Amino acid sequence: MQVNSSKILEEKRPLMKKLLAGLLETYTYASILAVDAEGKSYAVSRAGINIAKSDVWSECGYVIKVYDGESYGEYAFNHLEEDQIDGIVTRIKEQLMPWKEALAAGLCTKQYPRMDEEEASFEKSTECGRMPGQMGDGEVIEKLKAVRDKALTQREDLIDCRTACSYQVAHKIFLSPKKELAQNVMWTTGVLVAMAAKGEEIKTSFASCGGLCGLETLDEMEGLIPGVMDSIGYLLVSEPMVPGEYDCICTPEVTGMIVHEAFGHGVEMDMFVKKRALAEKYVGEYVASPLVTMHDGAAVAIDQSATFFFDDEGTPAQDTIVIDHGVLKGGICDAQAGMALHCAPTGNGRRQSTDHKAYTRMTNTYFEGGNDKLEDMIASIENGVMLCEATSGMEDPKNWGIQCMVNYAREIKNGKFTGRVFSPIVLTGYVPDLLKSISMMSETPKLSGAGMCGKGHKEWVKVSDGGPYIKARIRLG
Amino acid sequence: MYRTILRAIQSCGAENYLIRKTQTESAELYFIRKELDMRRMKDITVYEVTVYRDSEVEGKKMRGFADAFIYPQMDEETVNKAITDAYYAATFAANPFFELPAGKKEEPVTMPGRLAGMSVTEAAEAFAEALFSVDNHPRAWINTAEFFVNRITTSIWNSAGIEVSYTRCEANGEFIVQTGEPQDVEQYQDFAYNDLDTESLKTQAREALETVVARAQATTAPAKGTYDVILSGKELRQLLSFYTERSNAAYIYPGYSNYRKGMKVQGEAVRGEKLNLTLKATVPYAYEGIPLSDRELIRDGELLDIYGNVRFSYYLGIKPTGNYEGMQVKNGTASMAQLKAKPYLHVVSFSGFDMDVFSGHFGGEIRLAYLFDGEKVTPVTGGSVNGSLLELQDNMIFSKETYKDSRYEGPLAVKFTGVPVAGV
Repeated sequence: MQVNSSKILEEKRPLMKKLLAGLLETYTYASILAVDAEGKSYAVSRAGINIAKSDVWSECGYVIKVYDGESYGEYAFNHLEEDQIDGIVTRIKEQLMPWKEALAAGLCTKQYPRMDEEEASFEKSTECGRMPGQMGDGEVIEKLKAVRDKALTQREDLIDCRTACSYQVAHKIFLSPKKELAQNVMWTTGVLVAMAAKGEEIKTSFASCGGLCGLETLDEMEGLIPGVMDSIGYLLVSEPMVPGEYDCICTPEVTGMIVHEAFGHGVEMDMFVKKRALAEKYVGEYVASPLVTMHDGAAVAIDQSATFFFDDEGTPAQDTIVIDHGVLKGGICDAQAGMALHCAPTGNGRRQSTDHKAYTRMTNTYFEGGNDKLEDMIASIENGVMLCEATSGMEDPKNWGIQCMVNYAREIKNGKFTGRVFSPIVLTGYVPDLLKSISMMSETPKLSGAGMCGKGHKEWVKVSDGGPYIKARIRLG
Repeated sequence: MYRTILRAIQSCGAENYLIRKTQTESAELYFIRKELDMRRMKDITVYEVTVYRDSEVEGKKMRGFADAFIYPQMDEETVNKAITDAYYAATFAANPFFELPAGKKEEPVTMPGRLAGMSVTEAAEAFAEALFSVDNHPRAWINTAEFFVNRITTSIWNSAGIEVSYTRCEANGEFIVQTGEPQDVEQYQDFAYNDLDTESLKTQAREALETVVARAQATTAPAKGTYDVILSGKELRQLLSFYTERSNAAYIYPGYSNYRKGMKVQGEAVRGEKLNLTLKATVPYAYEGIPLSDRELIRDGELLDIYGNVRFSYYLGIKPTGNYEGMQVKNGTASMAQLKAKPYLHVVSFSGFDMDVFSGHFGGEIRLAYLFDGEKVTPVTGGSVNGSLLELQDNMIFSKETYKDSRYEGPLAVKFTGVPVAGV
């Protein structure tokens, strides 16, 4: 079924149009983004049962963007009534936009052209199997309990298993002089986390399911149990990593983290504007093995959690080829960075919420599949490891340094797993060295989107990433 | 809206509730070099309503809870539905019973500081002026800067009589420093102040400009091996969160932490310095409206107390204290010069420092470190630190010198012996 539109936003649409008209009496460009989003989380663990609205994924607010002939300002608020329109316009005209005049000597405003936009008008919704109203809180909790109970029977040494489910139903309306857009999107994720003690250490393993779907994804959660239990088994016999450079097989989740953290952030073109991305100098050059083709876009993977129809600046979602057979073709771009760089935005202007600024952000980011079989890839390793379970990463667009953390590595010698396991693992190195070392790729890419992505240390948005299994040479510690 | 919410709570039959109202007024400035790229203002009000539902399961008293976000934009019908839905959801979140904290109406608190006496825009201008006033280094510059000044009023009511409110003003943000010679590199910096502490921002920026020049000299990673590693600055706050998290009732009750009162958290045989840590109240009231006050947590390595929110404290039979954001740690006995008397690897910047509270592992990729081999100090970059606090905590040496930010005051640095480092 289709995700319905928002009653609140539909009621406020006429007022938004009136507000926009009021702003356009003074300014040559203005836009309004309105968001009504409900995010909810369920969890069952030894800590108890938790049902909570998510403060990150829930909001009901507006952000206005205004152009004063040379620069842009934004005003975010979350109450719009007929009698407040004049006050909002006055706040923008008398406080927000003239604020630039109060800057200290030596500081000035960055000059931008007026936003160039094409006529567009549509309302689109995603499809999902079971909406929250069709699966009550009780049924969600019962499903989570059942998966947890089954998981807990798998091993006697488990401290706990935590099952959790989160969803967001987000409604957005975007109005500007030439655009009237609306979208209604729902994503859902399910997560299983298992914990076991290794001395004083508590080892955790997790797996997730979901994407651009409804609560029907809960039916997939039981299928996560075997993999998580295997991982716990590996972690409990793990030993500290022996630092060094290894031939590695990366699972699709680890490939996804490399795609996202190591390279994806570096092609966010607001970083080009700031001269903070090395990638700007390498457009048109080989930055990866010819086996590598990389995509980003909200329109590329229709079943993933960062899929939408237009971004938070009203730019339609696209499929951007970032790397084509090893050659860097270009980056991804929000509207304001596009104006600064004289290029078209790619539908990657995203906000954590209406009270946050839009930045260039990734959406669904992945490597295309290759032609190799996983068993052949493992057999090709003389002395190396398989890297499993991506846990966290940090970007370094300026210098293409890599920091990715993975939960464990399974040793491979002479094409076979030895049973030896290392944990935890830090991947480091120089991004192009890693990407150029990719020598094999399995056939089918797999994306996952249970986590969130920050820009530096803040600005959280939902993303997905992935790819096939890859073979590469990587420095591990 | 408060009245509407109360009516909705009564109408759905909920007898116990917690209401938190957060009003935020913000002013934000975003610069690329010395050009203002964007200015933003915001006025946001959000109510978070938690409703509790009591039941009995197999003779055991239970208390479920669920919440709803209420926005000014909602009409009464929508508010009623949101709260009724939450009360219904609470049926399925039945947890062992716990009592809500009792209280009374208190006078609103305005947290002191010079920020309280000025507008958010004036404060943002002052911090911007301060930062760019030191942007005159001959070889390095401020690449970008973002300033956020918030005036936040939090009001908390519950069904047991709590009615408190406080207003805090905060300035935070981040900036990037860059240099071009001999290589083009940058350093990330963040800041957070509860006062108009523009001088501290200037000092931080001056030091950052010097640091990025040093980073530009670093071309290679350290050789792989084990090192005596010095960590400093904000990394200590994250490192020592291992102890504050493991002392929290929310970790102890489900068995994720084995901490108990009287436990020697660094082990029985400490070769280095013993930890002394106090939880610092950075706001007058905790999430559930409990008054917060500073609380000594660890003295000479011994856990004096367990702390936590209402629910998990009740389960453990301890007095609820509320959760804390700040910590104060007693300085050590060694000066920085003494810490650096023997060969060391001093990591001054990680790509992202990670402290896993469950496993005790810490580390990250090295953006900039100083390697002293006994003869000379060399800046290095690349490679990674991967240590286990559980294995290293018996031999920590803290500095005499102090580092302070909005959530930490304590030793500037800690030195560990024999930490694995991945390098060339």
